[in-house]
Amino acid sequence: MNKPIIAVAAIAVIAVAGWTWNESRYYDAPERPALNVVDIDGNIVGEYRAPLARDMLAEENAESIILGMRLLNETARLLPDNVGDGLNCNSCHMAQGKRPLGAPYINTINDYPKFMPRAQDVLNIQERINGCFRRSMNGVPLDESSVEMQAMVDYMDWLRGDVEKGNRVSIQNMEYFKVGQFTPDPVRGEQIYVQQCASCHGGNGEGMKDQFGDFIFPPLWGDESFNLGAGMARISRAAPFVLHNMPLGVSLDAPLGQITLSKQDAVDVSAYFTVKPRPDFPDKIHDWPGVPKPPDFRAH
Amino acid sequence: MKKATQIAIFSCAVLLVGAVAVAKSVPYWFAPLMDNPPQVDITDPELIAKGQYYARVADCVACHTAPGGKAFAGGLGMQTPLGAIYSTNITPDPETGIGNYSYADFERAVRRGIRPDNVALYPAMPFVSYMIAKDDEIEAMYAYFMSAVLPVKQDNQVATIPWPANMRWPLAWWQLIFAQPREFEENPSLTAQQNHGAYLVEGLAHCGACHTPRGIGFQEKSLSNNDSEQFLAGSVLEGWYAKSLRNEGVGLAIWSEEELVEFLRTGRTHHTAAFGSMSEVVEKSTQYFTDTDLHAIASYLMSLPPRKGYAANWQPTEDTTTAKLRSGNITEPGEIIYVQECAACHRMDGKGAPRVFPALAGNSIVFAEDPSSLIQVTMAGGKMADTKHDMMAFTMPGFYHLSNQDLADVLNFIRNGWGNHGSEISTRDIARMRRVVDHAPTHYVPHENVNVPQFSSIVGGASHE
Ligand code: HEC
Ligand code: HEC
Ligand code: HEC
Repeated sequence: MNKPIIAVAAIAVIAVAGWTWNESRYYDAPERPALNVVDIDGNIVGEYRAPLARDMLAEENAESIILGMRLLNETARLLPDNVGDGLNCNSCHMAQGKRPLGAPYINTINDYPKFMPRAQDVLNIQERINGCFRRSMNGVPLDESSVEMQAMVDYMDWLRGDVEKGNRVSIQNMEYFKVGQFTPDPVRGEQIYVQQCASCHGGNGEGMKDQFGDFIFPPLWGDESFNLGAGMARISRAAPFVLHNMPLGVSLDAPLGQITLSKQDAVDVSAYFTVKPRPDFPDKIHDWPGVPKPPDFRAH
Repeated sequence: MKKATQIAIFSCAVLLVGAVAVAKSVPYWFAPLMDNPPQVDITDPELIAKGQYYARVADCVACHTAPGGKAFAGGLGMQTPLGAIYSTNITPDPETGIGNYSYADFERAVRRGIRPDNVALYPAMPFVSYMIAKDDEIEAMYAYFMSAVLPVKQDNQVATIPWPANMRWPLAWWQLIFAQPREFEENPSLTAQQNHGAYLVEGLAHCGACHTPRGIGFQEKSLSNNDSEQFLAGSVLEGWYAKSLRNEGVGLAIWSEEELVEFLRTGRTHHTAAFGSMSEVVEKSTQYFTDTDLHAIASYLMSLPPRKGYAANWQPTEDTTTAKLRSGNITEPGEIIYVQECAACHRMDGKGAPRVFPALAGNSIVFAEDPSSLIQVTMAGGKMADTKHDMMAFTMPGFYHLSNQDLADVLNFIRNGWGNHGSEISTRDIARMRRVVDHAPTHYVPHENVNVPQFSSIVGGASHE
């Protein structure tokens, strides 16, 4: 054989081998980005990545963590004696409590006990959860020593990973709006509601139910919605929630395809739905004891 | 060098020169300009309106518009194994578009795939399907393009296919082999309505361009059900599996005619939603079809018999998944990943939310023969067709960040959950799709031609990105 033929054959072999190698390279997901863990003075002391869902199964108390996860996701169905409306904890705590700006649970265990202005008292985590049961869930408190309460705490504790008490994960939290810094336009809010919310929450804020009668999308007003004592009934809380979390399923961004509305849109639409009729919370008169009530306090 | 080698090289050279010469001559005798082109009155409003309809049926806008670019200005990149090719500017701009096309030029480009400079087009332009379109339809489209489309000055992008694969003369040979002139043939065993459906599906609506498997030469294996049962039997393009549209188990057997009409008109039914390139097809094209045309297409597709060796029906197995998930008996990685990442939208019963989030239970794309679309929509996400029939078009977020193992586990779970049953997806399948997603073609939109939406909804962004 002569040289040119050998050369051509060699080039061909190398080309085919290279192509095959390139085709068969194994691509996997990029490394997950980490959040900083900071101590009380703000020094970075470590990194945090949310534990992987699959690893939950291998935990010693897996059964309790899984129960906690389910209770947070399907609160209304699983705790009918304690929930008086159509909401679940995770109706507001987005994406299993993992999403920045979506009321994450990641620091919850480390943050409590904590001073709550509304109660003018230091509350432990169980008391805080029961605050939600009475207001956002328009129901009755759960026994603090129950298996269910422990399960929810265990889920949040699992989510904390190995971040020690005293330290925090520097995850972004929403900033509450200040009443007076914006001028809500509920008429424009209604238009936004029709365009951007009604497909899921219904034309009358009634939500949407599945084949079992459980809510897919929570009701935003009416008898089955959160009561006047809930943070979500106050525009200073509702507007930033809506701003960062609603609507969902409208962008390619994991976990839930949310977008950021404009501040004015969020304020206007919140001014529309928060003031709609909803259950009362008679105990509201005991809120902010001895201090002035906030401007968006809901007397009625 | 030995004499034999010299002769061999010499004959190869002669053959090559011959092949090029023949190819260069092909457009002149194989697909020449028409002899006596009709006078098309491009100012006739009725003709223009018809042309707009046919152009929508043919979905010219989908390929000839880049995301974020001006309508019909070209620049949409399409991935081929060798590089990206770009669609061209077909606005009536005389310099960069088709403003100087005569009717005969237009007819020849659309039906025969030859440019006015006698160069053959890539078969990415579906002229093989358009070939059977009637004269009056082409004339109407010409009037529409010349008179009603806004001219845009935007240069065409050169394909990124490297030399020598980017030479165009072999395309003429391709045309000689795969694009012989043909006419629509009615099938006497079908109703008139079904034959009308067949005419649209084979022709202007070019469903086969995506749904018919392609052969070694990138040709559609069959252009009509009269030729072979490969017609509309399912095909993968850019990592999207456009599944079988035949009335068979892995095809549309579980669909009713009404559901098909609803799907083509609105991009969703109560349990599924169009995504990937099909979402575009509905948004830009089929949502505008007349009821007559939609029913004709649906009725025709329902008439396509199953392929040999394929079951006519699809039977779900018993659904044990709903009860398992609702009772909290969660033991497998796929299940827990589903509950954490997907259940908020697709729900424990896999039924989603009607017209908002598609069902995964009994959804033919979830258990399709080829899992490409299933993998890609989960990895890259997808946007529903935005049509006038629903207030909002929803989007599935992309789960690219999940590991191959997580994705394989969750997809095998939904593929075999709620009564679904399908073949196993491996982590290699996921890795392969990651590659396709990473190499998605980029599009070309010059800065000055970025399309600014003409109306701004009071809440920009959400349903009209
Ligand atoms: C599936 C995608 C697709 C669709 C649908 C499509 N085209 Fe094309 N078209 C292309 C591509 C890609 C090219 C460029 C091919 C090339 O460069 O060889 C092209 C080229 C052309 C050209 C040649 C332009 C030039 O001078 O270079 C014309 C004219 C044209 N298309 C008109 C149409 C019309 C009219 C329709 C609707 C009836 C249509 N196309 C639908 C993909 C498409
Ligand atoms: C540009 C490529 C393309 C064209 C052209 C196209 N399709 Fe599709 N089609 C797809 C892809 C990709 C899917 C898979 C995604 C999905 O299910 O939405 C699909 C899915 C579908 C489905 C849903 C299948 C299921 O089980 O969910 C139907 C029905 C369908 N196409 C009908 C048609 C008809 C009829 C035409 C012609 C008018 C057509 N398609 C033209 C790419 C295409
Ligand atoms: C934020 C809500 C949301 C989440 C979370 C979500 N999806 Fe989806 N999913 C959608 C929407 C919306 C569509 C329709 C997309 C389209 O039509 O382009 C969809 C479509 C699909 C489809 C195609 C079905 C069809 O007929 O269109 C599959 C498969 C799918 N999702 C799987 C998953 C998996 C697996 C997960 C979890 C890893 C998941 N989805 C998480 C909203 C969601």
